[in-house]
Amino acid sequence: MSILKVAKRATGALLAAGLITGAAQASDKKDIVLGGSIPLTGVFAFAGVGIHAGITDSVKIINDAGGIEGHKLVYVPEDTAYKVDASVAAYNKITSQHDVNLYYGDSTAFSKTISPELDRSGKTLMTGASFASELNDPEKYPNIFIPGPTYVDMVGILMKHIANEKPGAKVGLVHSETEFGRDPVEGAKATAKELGLDLNLVISTAPGGVDVSTEVLKMRRARPDYVIFHGYVLSPIPEFIGQARSMGLDTKFMGTFWSMDNQMVGKMGEIADGFMGVMPYNYYYTEAENAPMLEKIRSMRDTYQSNAYMQGFFSTIMMAEAARNVIKAGKELNGPNLHEGLEAIKDFDTGGLMGIPVTVKGNSVPIGRVYQYDLSKKQMVPSSDWIRLD
Amino acid sequence: MRIGTVKESYIADAALFDTKVQRGWMFALLAGLLLLPFFTGQYASYLVCLVLINIVSTAGLNILTGFTGLVSLGQAAFMGVGAYTVALMEIKLGTPFLLNLLVAGGLAAVIGIVVGLPSLRVKGLYLAIATIAASVILHFVFANWTSVTGGVSGLSMPPASLFGFEFIQPDQVYWIIMPITVIMLFGAANLFRTRIGRAFIAIRDRDISAEVLGIRLLRYKLLSFAISSFYAGVAGGLWAYFFRVVTPESFPLTMSIFFLAAIIVGGMGSILGSVLGAVFMTMVPEVLKMMVGVLSPIWPDAVAVMSPVRIIVFGGLIIIFLIFEPDGLAEIWRNIRRFFHLWPFKT
Repeated sequence: MSILKVAKRATGALLAAGLITGAAQASDKKDIVLGGSIPLTGVFAFAGVGIHAGITDSVKIINDAGGIEGHKLVYVPEDTAYKVDASVAAYNKITSQHDVNLYYGDSTAFSKTISPELDRSGKTLMTGASFASELNDPEKYPNIFIPGPTYVDMVGILMKHIANEKPGAKVGLVHSETEFGRDPVEGAKATAKELGLDLNLVISTAPGGVDVSTEVLKMRRARPDYVIFHGYVLSPIPEFIGQARSMGLDTKFMGTFWSMDNQMVGKMGEIADGFMGVMPYNYYYTEAENAPMLEKIRSMRDTYQSNAYMQGFFSTIMMAEAARNVIKAGKELNGPNLHEGLEAIKDFDTGGLMGIPVTVKGNSVPIGRVYQYDLSKKQMVPSSDWIRLD
Repeated sequence: MRIGTVKESYIADAALFDTKVQRGWMFALLAGLLLLPFFTGQYASYLVCLVLINIVSTAGLNILTGFTGLVSLGQAAFMGVGAYTVALMEIKLGTPFLLNLLVAGGLAAVIGIVVGLPSLRVKGLYLAIATIAASVILHFVFANWTSVTGGVSGLSMPPASLFGFEFIQPDQVYWIIMPITVIMLFGAANLFRTRIGRAFIAIRDRDISAEVLGIRLLRYKLLSFAISSFYAGVAGGLWAYFFRVVTPESFPLTMSIFFLAAIIVGGMGSILGSVLGAVFMTMVPEVLKMMVGVLSPIWPDAVAVMSPVRIIVFGGLIIIFLIFEPDGLAEIWRNIRRFFHLWPFKT
């Protein structure tokens, strides 16, 4: 046997041994479980399907890149139909079958319901579909993370934009008669006062209601320069805009995150032109420099992905980053440490999901950007730079 | 074949359990309920508690709709009244949970009487609409009486406690929910061995004839509303202790439809039907979820793809049951029993 052959075989044996040892080491590392109460059916299914896809893809990308410090991330979802009792059932089921450190919840009500249990078990950090400002309290909700700005922050970002564009402008707030819809009302009043805006109209309607003629008459009397919708996905926003336009109002209309999906806004038709709103993430189609994560998403899915997808994706990478910080610090993966790991996220590069580096503040990430719908492009396009609330 | 069940007295004929076999099964069931938490995990305990709460509320609605013939779509709102009462008493007064539950039931009963007033003039769908209106008003109160109900954010409450022991986990709250459910079911079953229960049935079968027989419609219709709402109030109170957060969105109109569907699927005018209907409506979606979960190891995206199919299957199952047995699951159960009673002869 020649020396070359011996050397080759020895190298091969060493490599094989190394690989086996490495694999053994990798398999020694415990999986990190991300449970999910996901609304794949029911009234919130339009978002749940996107959230699920976003989480699934981000988990795959994280695992393909070696997991979280060598720990494989395992995603265990359950459908909840957007019902609190089903969400709690899913939580109990998943936590009884797995050692769960990370969790995605589907609603504010679920977050509030499960919070005492999160505190009691002390094992899990939870994020979810809710941006409720009430949850942005690390003292009261130490194990909850909001993957973006709160609803109050969103309205604040829009008002900041309005104050820059037209100081002293008259602003209206139209919200749904739900917990989700009412969330930013008091905050909006305070922010308007602070920014010198005239919040001269606050209207509440049933979610999804279509007969808004009385409310539009109120709008006509108040003649606000801007109207912010909150607590809706689509209806009755088109009805409001359509009737206001037919009355000759030149009000600018705005929305918050859940009414900012590009396809959803596109469904409004011609009246969507100029519709503005706040979005904490880049859109699927955003062409930005240094956005490898957006490139990866587009390479994995060649069709448009919703804002819910981006929310699910962002939530996962943030929780994974928190877990990474805990492991790097050599600490045990548990609720308090994961929250510390989350708080340690400073100027984190999300690979283009958010346009600027991310720093967690309280339980949230108060960053967003104002977009405007361009009918000719059939796309939401940036109308402001990224706005960070301090 | 079962023989030797001759009854020699009216009391024996009206007994809830008229054979030794029945009493044996009931004893086994109670023993099973006592031992259950020792052999199940938190998930199973959670589901059992949820089923038991739904059984209480379904039994209440069955008293009103199944036995008295008065359709109501306000059951969830009455549960809301009970839940808020318990939450407020627990937060503000810290009174014992049993007292809180009784007051919750009592207050829901009083509101039930008020809501039941239109039943003297209207029946059927008209009454259903009246109860929906009451439900909307109650939801408005829950959402807007902020100083008391916490508005749309609702109330977060401490757990039930007894001699310093806190009932937090599902397998702990079970010891509150299970005995109360058993007592309330026995109460409901016994109700129809009394003059009141028989008056309800007479009103359901023909209210004019009932009145001719001397049954005062005003009193008994409102009593039926009160008892039904009492059950809903207690169920709502148990719900509050179970979840410890009460918001206006906790008790939507769809929840009332859920209970109405439960008594139709289980069997109208049957306490057993209430139990079977609540079990079916609560557990079938979970069982279907488990079946989807089984596919997950071989089909990773099964949860996303099969979830809508699961809902269709659930709806289809309800329709199939109603087509093949309009009298509900209770009748299927009775047919099975009859088969074994007469076996080896044909029914």
